[in-house]
Amino acid sequence: MEGALKLWTVIVAVGLLNYFSRMSFIAFFARRSVPPLLARALRYVPAAMLSALIVPMIVAVPAGGGGSGPRVAAALVAGAVAWATGSTLKTLGAGMAALWLLQWSTQG
Amino acid sequence: MLPACVAMVPFGVVCGVGAAAAGANFIGAMGMSTIIFSGAAQILASQLLATGAPVAVVILTCSVLGLRFLMYSAAMAPVLQPLPRRWSGALAFLLTDQAFAAAIRKFDAHGDARRAALHYTGGGMALWCFWQATNAAGFLAGNVIPAAWSLEFAVPLCFLALLAPAMRSVPHVFAAVVAGVAVLALDALPMRLNLVIAGVLGILGGIAIELAGERWKAR
Repeated sequence: MEGALKLWTVIVAVGLLNYFSRMSFIAFFARRSVPPLLARALRYVPAAMLSALIVPMIVAVPAGGGGSGPRVAAALVAGAVAWATGSTLKTLGAGMAALWLLQWSTQG
Repeated sequence: MLPACVAMVPFGVVCGVGAAAAGANFIGAMGMSTIIFSGAAQILASQLLATGAPVAVVILTCSVLGLRFLMYSAAMAPVLQPLPRRWSGALAFLLTDQAFAAAIRKFDAHGDARRAALHYTGGGMALWCFWQATNAAGFLAGNVIPAAWSLEFAVPLCFLALLAPAMRSVPHVFAAVVAGVAVLALDALPMRLNLVIAGVLGILGGIAIELAGERWKAR
């Protein structure tokens, strides 16, 4: 398949499937209660999916060279801030500051 | 919701850069950001397309990742109840990790569905506009951002801010740990299939610990 066609197939299919997931309980099943087994599984979807998404991004060796050590340390700092404050902005600030500090101190 | 918008800036820029790196033209990149409207799915789709993965695999992986919207949708249904049905169906399009987190926090704090629904609507629209602007900026200006800034590290940090409040109980923590360990252990699998499998294993792990806990209490 050609590149542009591939991309647009993905855009339309993922866009539709995502919209279906977003609408599901808000619109389609609004009058029905969630089946207990599904409710049980849904409870753990964000924790599991977010963790599976984040961990490789943090552990991956950066393209610019160097080890993943500074990123893991910075992520631990950011995780503690996220847990204590619940603020996205503070988490981002603390994580980036920690990473820059660690990169700067290991280079200089 | 304003802090969420500001925090989205580096994330959106990274997404725009990723779309450019995957060989998308401007229209294609904006198609992803306007229609898919999910940073996690956009980044994964860009990475997978850049490595030449089959379309079916890209769709499967992104859709499994999108299953978390089912959970958000179920939790948001009572919040959006005061709005007319037509509205809530359309507003579901604005459901993202950030809009969900902010609206639910408002709902939990005040118990006022109407107020939370309005907050979600306004904030969701603002986020959508911010998202398009930052994606466009990333696509157009991506190659002038120095690599030493490590801007792409903002992406896991944004998700970390969402993961931390999800750690509400022992089964939740277990689900995250199982998924995190599994995704690394299965790293050798092709086409990021480790992500899908690790997510499912994490969910099963959470359920297993919850059931074990219930059985323990029942004794």
